[in-house]
Formats: sequence, structure tokens, C-alpha cells
Amino acid sequence: MKPVSRRRDAGFSLPEAIAGFVIFTIMMGALTYAAAALFKFQSQPSAIYGGQTYALAPSLGSFQQAVSLQTAFAQAVDQADNLIVIGGVRSSPTAANADLPASALATTFADASLSAAISSDPFQAYSSWDQVQLNSLQFSPYFTVNPDPADFTILTVQGQSRITSITQQRRVTATINGLNQVLYQVTSQTIDWSSGSPVLLPNAQTGTTPTYGYAIYYPAAEDSWAQAPGVTHYWYRTDATWDRDQEGPSRVIFADPYVLAGQDPQAPIQSVSRFVYFLPQTR
Amino acid sequence: MKTRFQGGRGERGMASVAVIVFAGVAMMVLVANYELNFAATTTGDAFDSFNSQMVEKNGVAQIVKESILALRETAVVNSGNTIDTEIQNRLGSMTFPSDVTLALGSWTAVPANPYYPLGSPLPTAPAAYFSSSPRGLAGMGALLTSLAMQGPVADLGRLTYTFNRSSSTSGDSRTYTIYADLFSMPLTNLDVVAYGLPASGTIPLTAPSVPSGFASGVSTLVVSSNNPANDPTAYPDLYASGTIETLPYQYRNQMSCAWNAYEMVWSANYQDALTSAAGLAGTYDLAAAVHPPVAGLTAAGSAITIDCSQVTSPVVAVIDEAGTGNITILGSPSGGAPFVLVVRNLAAALGQTAVTFSGNNNRPAIYYLENSNVTFAGGPQIQGGLFFDPTTTGTGSVTWFGHFSFYGPASPLATLGIAVNDAPAVKTALADIAPRVLLVSTSSAPLIQ
Repeated sequence: MKPVSRRRDAGFSLPEAIAGFVIFTIMMGALTYAAAALFKFQSQPSAIYGGQTYALAPSLGSFQQAVSLQTAFAQAVDQADNLIVIGGVRSSPTAANADLPASALATTFADASLSAAISSDPFQAYSSWDQVQLNSLQFSPYFTVNPDPADFTILTVQGQSRITSITQQRRVTATINGLNQVLYQVTSQTIDWSSGSPVLLPNAQTGTTPTYGYAIYYPAAEDSWAQAPGVTHYWYRTDATWDRDQEGPSRVIFADPYVLAGQDPQAPIQSVSRFVYFLPQTR
Repeated sequence: MKTRFQGGRGERGMASVAVIVFAGVAMMVLVANYELNFAATTTGDAFDSFNSQMVEKNGVAQIVKESILALRETAVVNSGNTIDTEIQNRLGSMTFPSDVTLALGSWTAVPANPYYPLGSPLPTAPAAYFSSSPRGLAGMGALLTSLAMQGPVADLGRLTYTFNRSSSTSGDSRTYTIYADLFSMPLTNLDVVAYGLPASGTIPLTAPSVPSGFASGVSTLVVSSNNPANDPTAYPDLYASGTIETLPYQYRNQMSCAWNAYEMVWSANYQDALTSAAGLAGTYDLAAAVHPPVAGLTAAGSAITIDCSQVTSPVVAVIDEAGTGNITILGSPSGGAPFVLVVRNLAAALGQTAVTFSGNNNRPAIYYLENSNVTFAGGPQIQGGLFFDPTTTGTGSVTWFGHFSFYGPASPLATLGIAVNDAPAVKTALADIAPRVLLVSTSSAPLIQ
């Protein structure tokens, strides 16, 4: 019997190569599937709702967008004379239904100034409630109906009338591909007044407005937070006689794209957004 | 055996290659995941550092503001230190992370805040949010602008302070640039103040009740307790109970106006300065044996009549040490140079000085009425600034154009029918003879340009 040569034994036969390739493919598929299950962001699934693309959280890409937005928002707040925080609970100091979420402004709101506020009593800057009443004619076409508790609009204002940024958060529950999902959209429009006239700055990458934004979604069952996204207003006092509607800082919580929001409902510690603010109405 | 042995080596080789490839791919996936997590963590940490430094910067800005107020606030006592010493003292009480130091880099001396009669007041101008001359207020924060927009103010300028932050963490060393904007506001810019005296008296626990039509559409200021148990208009939301109530920093500028400035106004130092400014030509001392003539003032015993249309001295002072004075103030139908009328009652419990306003008065004046019993006869209309000390009471009815302030814990409004109206022209007229409050706003250059 002729011995098998070493050269022939050193390689693979065609069946061996095919079998090896099949096995390798199966192994890699299994590995990819396992890794994707372990790290959800590897698969980067997304959903389109209302023409807006939402990334499944946790999403690193959305997180980076969120950090850009939050940095700009924090600086706008830092440089503002006062804030108008619209929406959230307890927005009214006296209304009987103050614990119900108040309307925010529609995301189409893009006004750069508040015409009624130009010559108004400056003491009204001490509460968003007064500011909403003062500018009600301008705001009323934009008030949302059936607002979600997580919805809010925050205007940073200089000199009673110039809006320097418009930051919005919306939360929507929708059925996508047969599954109940909770979608969060956060946008921030920077308005540059350095030239004396308002300029709505576009996004640096897309060239379109708003300036910043991120959109994420969770399976509805996972939308569970230690402190839910949204706004809670706090009050020092309301005193009509002495014109003292004095609002304290509002607690503002943005949705966080890099948090596994209630992925484990049994977990002793629920998810907490990194983007939590205690925002005074005045600076 | 040899052939089977050689075939086994080949299979092992194939398996080894597969294992190596598998291990390599697995490592790549794990490294990729690590890098993703590292990127997320790094980004998150950077954002947290940004946020904490924003808080730190604003804390430093507050230090600058308090240091300036320590030197120049309209108060009974000011510090004699330099501004850098005041800042260093406050900075030294702060605690930073072990690898962080924060030092004052450069500073600017704080200008004086002169006001009548202690100094020559700086000229005032109506404030605007957006203006190049005078300098617009936008960006200085509503805590300042809400007060500074009430009437003409004097701009004391923008001061710049830098702080060098040093950290062993890469990228965390930076310079904080703090701007302090100073404005001098005549106290008479505020239409109505129910003041408190935290040092020599008390603060109003609650805002006084007011009669109908008292102050519609005018600026009103009262800083009362935030404890709902004291003031039913207060909410418990953010109230921190304790042995000593601490108001939120939001009230700092208002406290300067409604508390500390009135400690100064009713101090002997300021009242003596007013009396001194009156001089012989403007002072009538009821106890004096000889009474030099005072233009516009006539006297018959303890009955004194002051005709506002005839006053020529910038300050007229009536000294009543026994509480027996009976002063009638006749209004001037026409305008004229504003002046100050001081009624100094040193009698305390011996008795109040009777002060009666009679007739309309269109000549703006500031009336400092100490321990007086004020009556308005015939419901006159009067322009000016009306300052009631804590023991002054009032009766009758009056329509007032300008400023009115009274001690919040002892409101005269139960017996006095007064309707206050905002009067920009009166504010302008009184700006140079009114006590002034230093308003300070600190802001900073953005952390990220």
C-alpha cells in the first residue's frame, strides 16, 4: 500500500473545507447572536414612527448626541436671564388639577421672541406660570392636547423677550411591528442673537434644524425609572396681593439613551437618568 | 497506523485553525464591546465633569458677589477689607477634591456706591435690556434686572475676576472668568416696600394686608418668612425647617433692598447725615432757644408749617426731642427742585410728632418721618417718597405718586387709606437725593466657547 504523502495530509480536501466553512459559519452566527443578545447596541435596531427614526436604547450613538444636546442646554441655561418651563406637574401654584401634566408647546414652535413680555413687569420672570399667562396669546396655538407627563418645553430667555433656546421632550407610546414601544424624542434649538437678529442654528452634521436632537425607544415594559422623565414644578409661594408668584427650581429629567430603563423590573435599583436638573426660574 | 496518525495531525490542525479563528473573532468582539463601553463611560464622565465644573464656577461667582456686597452693600456695616481678601476668605472655606486647587488669579477693586448725602451720587439713566449706551441689562439675570428695570439706575461698571483651577486630571485645569455687573439703584424706584429690620427689629413674617386699590399695577416688595406656618402664601415644597430660617439665595437682592437698606436708612448714622446736610439754614430744633430762619418754614411754639413751594434748602430737618411738635405740610401746586424733609422725633415713648399733609403737592420730595402720627387732610394727591419709620402711624386718605415704604411688622395700612401710583417722572426727580442700593449680578464666560 502506497503511503499517504505528507503534502497531501497537510491540506484540506474539498468536503473537509466545505464542512469546515459550514461549521465556522454556524459558530460565527452563534457567536454574533450571543454577543448581540448580550450587548444590545451591537445590533442597533431602530424604529420609524411619524417619520422620525428612533434607536433602541441603550444606544451609544444617541448617547453621544444626547451629551452634545445636554451640554448646549446647560450652557444656554447658564447664560439666560430666566427660564420658562412649560409642561409637567404642578405648573400652576393654585389650580385644583395642578398634579395633572400641563400642556407643552408643540415641537413646531420656533418663535425667537416673546412679544407680550417686552415691556412687562420684570417680577413676572419669577415664575413660568406668570410667563405662560403673560404670553398666552402667543403660546395658545401651540399648546399640546393630552400631554404626556414626560412632555415639556423649556425656553431660555434673555431680557424678558429674546428666546435663546427651545428645548423639547416628547414621549409617545406606539405599537410597532406588533410590539408596544415607548418612544422619546428630545430636541434643542439654539437661537443666536449675536448679530442683533435671531438666527436658528442648524445641526452641524445635517445642516437642518433643530440644532441638537436624539430619539430613542424602549419596549413598553422596560420604560420604568426610579424618577420618570418629565418636569415637576416646586413653589416658594403664590401671593396675588403682593404680586409674589415665586417659583422655586423645577426638577427636569430628560430621557437617557444609555440607560437600560426597566430591563429588570425586579432589580432593587431602578434606572436613573444621567440628565437630571434642578433649574431655577431666574438667575 | 502511520496513515491514520498523519490524518489525525491534519484534523487537529484544522481544528486548531478554527479554534484560533474563533478565539480571535471572540476577542475582537469583546474588545469592540469594551471600547464601546469605555467610550460611553468616558463621554459620561466628561459630561459629569462639565456639570460639576459648571456648579463650581457658579459657586465661585456667588463668592464674588458676596465679597462685593460685603464691601459695598447699602447696609449699616461694611467690611474694611480689600476685595481679594474677602474673596480669599470665602474661597478658603470651600472644599475641593484632593487633586484640585482653585486660586484667585486677578481681581478688580470695587468702586464706591455714593449716595446722598453721604457722597455725590452718580448720574442715573433709564435702564434697558438691549442697549449699547447706556449698557443693556440683558444677560445679567432676572434677579438683578427685575429690580434694575424699575427706574433710572447708575451703572458702576463691569468688574472681571479670574480664578485658576488646577487639577491633576487631564483637561480639568482651566480658568474661570467671572464678571460682576454693579448698578446703583435709588430705593425710591420701588413703588411700595414693606420693609423688615433683621438686625434692629424683625422681618415681616407675612405680607401685610392691604386695602382695595392700594397698589394696582405698581411694583411692590416684601420679603417675608418662607415658613407656611408664618405666611400662608408660602408653600412647604422647598421649606427647610430648622431653628433658624434660611431663605433661598433667590431672595438675596430683594433682601438688600427690603431689609439691609432700611437698616441703614433708619440708622442714626444716616439720619444724622441728613440732619447735618440740612445745616443751620435747613434745621428747626423745637428745643433750641434760638431758631435760625428756615426758608419755607414758619413756627408758632410747637406748631410748625412747612410750605413746600417756599422751601429752598435741599434738606429741611425738624428736630423734636419731646414729642410735642405739630407739623403741617402745605403742598406746592407747581413743581420745583426736589428736597428732603426729615422729621426726627427723639422722644420715643414720650410722644409722636403730629404731621399733617394738606393740599396737593406737585413738587417731589422725600419725607423721612420718625415716630410720627401722620394725617392726610382732604385726600390730597402728592408726589414724592414717603418713608415711615417702624413707629410711625397714619390716618386719612391720600393718592400718592412715587414711593411709599413702611415697616412690614407694623403696617399702618389698617388706618391709612393710601393709593400708590407708579410715577416715572417722580423716580427720576428723586434719584439724586434718594438712598441707593447696590445691585450685583455675577455671570461668567461659558465653560465651552
